Amino acid sequence: MSQFPPNGDAIVTIEGVSKRYGRVAAVSDVSLEVRRGEVLGLLGPNGSGKTTLLRMLTGYLAPTAGRLLVAGFDTERQPMEARRRIGYVPESLPLYGHMRVREFLWFIARLRGLPRKAAATALDEVIGRVRLADVASAPIRTLSRGYRQRVAIAQGLVHGPDILVLDEPTNGLDPRQIIETRTLIRALAGERTIIMSSHILAEVEKVADRVAILLQGRLLDVRAMADTPDLEGLFLSLT
Amino acid sequence: MSAFGILLRKELHATFTSPIAYVVATVFLLVTGYTFSLTLFFTKVANLTYIFHQMYVLLILLVPVITMRAFAEERKADTLELLLTSPVREVWIVLAKFLAQLTLVAGLLAGSGAYAVILGLYGEPDWAPIYGGYLALLLLGCLLVAVGIFTSSLTENQVVAATCALGLGLMLWFADSASYILPAPLDVVAINLSLIGHFTTFVNGSLFLSDAGYYLSLSLLALFLTTRVVMDR
Repeated sequence: MSQFPPNGDAIVTIEGVSKRYGRVAAVSDVSLEVRRGEVLGLLGPNGSGKTTLLRMLTGYLAPTAGRLLVAGFDTERQPMEARRRIGYVPESLPLYGHMRVREFLWFIARLRGLPRKAAATALDEVIGRVRLADVASAPIRTLSRGYRQRVAIAQGLVHGPDILVLDEPTNGLDPRQIIETRTLIRALAGERTIIMSSHILAEVEKVADRVAILLQGRLLDVRAMADTPDLEGLFLSLT
Repeated sequence: MSAFGILLRKELHATFTSPIAYVVATVFLLVTGYTFSLTLFFTKVANLTYIFHQMYVLLILLVPVITMRAFAEERKADTLELLLTSPVREVWIVLAKFLAQLTLVAGLLAGSGAYAVILGLYGEPDWAPIYGGYLALLLLGCLLVAVGIFTSSLTENQVVAATCALGLGLMLWFADSASYILPAPLDVVAINLSLIGHFTTFVNGSLFLSDAGYYLSLSLLALFLTTRVVMDR
């Protein structure tokens, strides 16, 4: 099933991807293309397969069928090349609590292949960009949820990936932090491709250029937000 | 520095900044130091055989405490997802954890080297069994660390990981007991699987490649299985 016509500017191509756990299908035959520089919102209720799809894209999970191409690299056959081009911010904000913010970002930058000098420059840049300077020397375990979210986004950006993947990026944040995170995502759009999942309609409406609606592991529709004045109505009619 | 070097540095930092390392080191050196002093005081013989056997037991008991965090903690905190979506091979992640924790075990053994130095200063020990004993303990450490990392890769519960590693260590220790009830040739297999049989020869000052091969091959098997577990997603 192809929900979007093939596009020469596609940076991510998902072709007939399925993920099964025994007899349970978490994702079923999803095909989708993501254009360079756009913000794609994956919208769906909890358990609709958003996280599984993102985990396959980032190489954490292997698809049961189909293939995923990241900047032309197959996530199964050329996993290292594909992973280098992705920055991933999981919903659970996995961070090493015993490390200090700068130390953690340094570790991630070096792990993802940045040479020492480039890593130092990238670190300063990302700390400024995500506004972490105040807490750069603080142990991560002492940070608030909002700061932890920023550190998680910073680790996704530090190696300068082409694609930033955000899984439920505003979960657990207070209203101010939600607004700040949305503003940051919009500010990053254009520089790089952003794929974010959310189960909140307003979130996708405010941030995404296009929306892909998932339900029970199936891709129901892909629309440009500009052509979707009533996302709520569309979502209800599809689900 | 390669991705492996960066991972190793991170694992060494995590291992040596954990209070577990210092608690284990304190217990290990206190118990062996106490036994060494008493044995030397009563026997007046420049020999470490008794201490080596005690260290053998202590390593079986304490290494699971060192290794229990390796993957279980990463799974629980979801940081394994971070590592596995980075451009590094699973085998490097496993080897970095293995080497970092083996370094701690080697550090414990190096600390106990003071006993050999004391014997050398004040007596005339037979050095062959001492060298053999330390080599055997290092090989045993390799195996126990590899087994501990393997059990840690199977769960996100550190206590479960440590308990399973302890169980496997004890089963390997007592494997030869099964030879009394097993028919040939399984009885020989049971004898050859036993940790203690391959340990005693070293401590007696005899070096056999087959004994070293036993520890190394089982260590490699455990590391291979760990890598498969981490890759199975």
